[in-house]
Amino acid sequence: MSASWHGVRTVAVLELRQRVRSTRWVVALVVWFVVVGAITALSWAAIHGLGGGPGVDGGLPEEVFTGPPIFGVVVFFVLFLGLLVSPTLSATSINGDRNAGTLATLQVTMLSPAQIAVGKLLAAWVAALAFLAVSVPFLVLALAAGGVPVVAVVVCLVVLALLLAVVCAIGLGFSALSPRTSGSAVLTFLSVAALTVLSPVVFALTVPAVTQDEPVRVWSVPLDYDWESGEPPECEWRTETMPVFHTERTWWLLAVNPFVILADAAPEARQAATVSDPLAAIRTAVRAARTGPATEQDWCTDTFGSFTSDGTPVAPAQSPVDVPEPDRSVVWPYGLAVELLLGAAGLAVAIRRLSIPQRRLARGTRVA
Amino acid sequence: MSITAGDRAPTPAPAVPPGIEVTGLHRSFGAVRALDGVDLVARTGAVTALVGPNGSGKTTLLLVLAGLLVPDGGRVRIAGHDPVTDGPAARARTGWMPDAFGTWDSLTAREVLLTFGAAYRLPREVAAARAAELLETVHLTEYADRPASVLSRGQKQRLGLARALVHRPEVLLLDEPASGLDPRSRVDLRVLLRDLAAAGTTVLVSSHVLAELDEMADDAVFLSGGRTVRPDRGDVPADGAREWRLRALSLTALTAWLDSVGARWRPDDGIGGDGPPGSGGVLLPVAGEESAARLLADAVRAGVPVAGLAPAAGALERAYLTLEEERR
Repeated sequence: MSASWHGVRTVAVLELRQRVRSTRWVVALVVWFVVVGAITALSWAAIHGLGGGPGVDGGLPEEVFTGPPIFGVVVFFVLFLGLLVSPTLSATSINGDRNAGTLATLQVTMLSPAQIAVGKLLAAWVAALAFLAVSVPFLVLALAAGGVPVVAVVVCLVVLALLLAVVCAIGLGFSALSPRTSGSAVLTFLSVAALTVLSPVVFALTVPAVTQDEPVRVWSVPLDYDWESGEPPECEWRTETMPVFHTERTWWLLAVNPFVILADAAPEARQAATVSDPLAAIRTAVRAARTGPATEQDWCTDTFGSFTSDGTPVAPAQSPVDVPEPDRSVVWPYGLAVELLLGAAGLAVAIRRLSIPQRRLARGTRVA
Repeated sequence: MSITAGDRAPTPAPAVPPGIEVTGLHRSFGAVRALDGVDLVARTGAVTALVGPNGSGKTTLLLVLAGLLVPDGGRVRIAGHDPVTDGPAARARTGWMPDAFGTWDSLTAREVLLTFGAAYRLPREVAAARAAELLETVHLTEYADRPASVLSRGQKQRLGLARALVHRPEVLLLDEPASGLDPRSRVDLRVLLRDLAAAGTTVLVSSHVLAELDEMADDAVFLSGGRTVRPDRGDVPADGAREWRLRALSLTALTAWLDSVGARWRPDDGIGGDGPPGSGGVLLPVAGEESAARLLADAVRAGVPVAGLAPAAGALERAYLTLEEERR
């Protein structure tokens, strides 16, 4: 165990030294810091600007926290940038070394293929974590705005770290498969794009396929209700046939999305803010999609019966339809499990391809 | 491991197992037969030259020996271990320096050696001492703490050699180690390899600088078309005669005299030189320098306008040129 860790550390230190000493690395961190800082400042200004409408003197009412929206924007932006940067950290680490003629000399040492692969992954991940670390001040800033529990920052950082590790592992796998560095970089970016962009697109495109005309029990105004009468209607049960979206069959398409995983895993804000919280919005939407359509719908309570003809409000008739309880069951473990499996597959491919002696060579490659 | 060491140390061992043993090695890349029947024995404590034209399979052979490629057929033993089935044991005893290799540009020369020390599981202090020692050996001490990117090609080559030696391998595989080296470094390399061989290391070295190999190698293995052509340096006549090149201002006078005294000679088909018209040279076997002196005196006495007498190219080069002919 200690011997294998020693080998992993040797490779990781080698990789990091090679990377850290190039100045581009520092520049990249500085650019990252500036960009995330700018986004934080902009979202801060925008959200406080929104509250400054007429009727409220000088801003939002005190009891509404501005933390959750700022936190949501910053966390998503960090994830977005992380997904862009992480592939470059690992997607050239094996074929790049092979092209530079440094891989084979490592392979013939006592280092095992697993040690080399894990060491390279570890180095890429540590580099990705450095970007996360640079973003922490801005998450803390959002915390200071109030409404975000401290645990949310911790959970989000952990989930971000895991997601970036997965991207690094996928990149590592492609760098072992593809002989060219440009090829593996493109493949890694495409995989990230598939998970982030393609997943909601495919979900949307499959909606017609999971839509069926079905009878639904509806609590509604009687069909013979006289709209001129001025009396509140007596609502009644009726069965109507209408298109029903069975998203409970396709919710998993959304669940593999890194943004969904992050939003769903983030602990809920202390108070539902009037300004929208992007994390909460996505969380609610994906959990609703997973729950699927309700078998009973209330078309009456909110629509009618608010006022009598002379303008006095009337307490709405008690609806027999249960208020749809937001599903509390979490979605992120499924998504994260799939992501981690993908990462494990990438790592396994890398280990396999690093094993020597090699039986087959990729077309157009030399061993050393 | 300690048992083997104990076995080896006290006995001078009349029958030391060869460091490298290869029989019937085959390896194809698709339709290309890179290795098509290689038989080779590299003796322990000797420098064996691996000679062959480009594309004859030298690098492929070294990759198989280094444990990077699985052969399609045949048997390989590195210090008694099969690099395919017993990879780690074979690799622990093998030092390999590829023909084209890179360095981690941001690392210093010392860090490269320390990294490889760690990769061969040397304890930290041992690795540090070994790195300092090797940097001294390859004359890179003053560059020890400078990044490898400032090293010249020859210096990188020397660093690569030091890297292959970090774990004191029993078997050393060198692919074109002399390329990019200045004359001084070539001499150093020769001395280093001779020292290593004297200390019991099996050295297999491929090179195109045949004169170099001629001076440092004990044995030679010729590869042509993926096949070992001659198992050893068989081109040297048994009586110890070497070929000498005799040049005269008049080729006809020279050949007439040689024929009259009944000497064996053949036309010099090598570089003719740029002497005056009518001049030329022949190659003939001469057994040692005394014979050469006698030959020269006889020729001068017979009135042949001799312009020069010198040993022709080395045995390796002649054998190599024969291979070239076979190739064509």
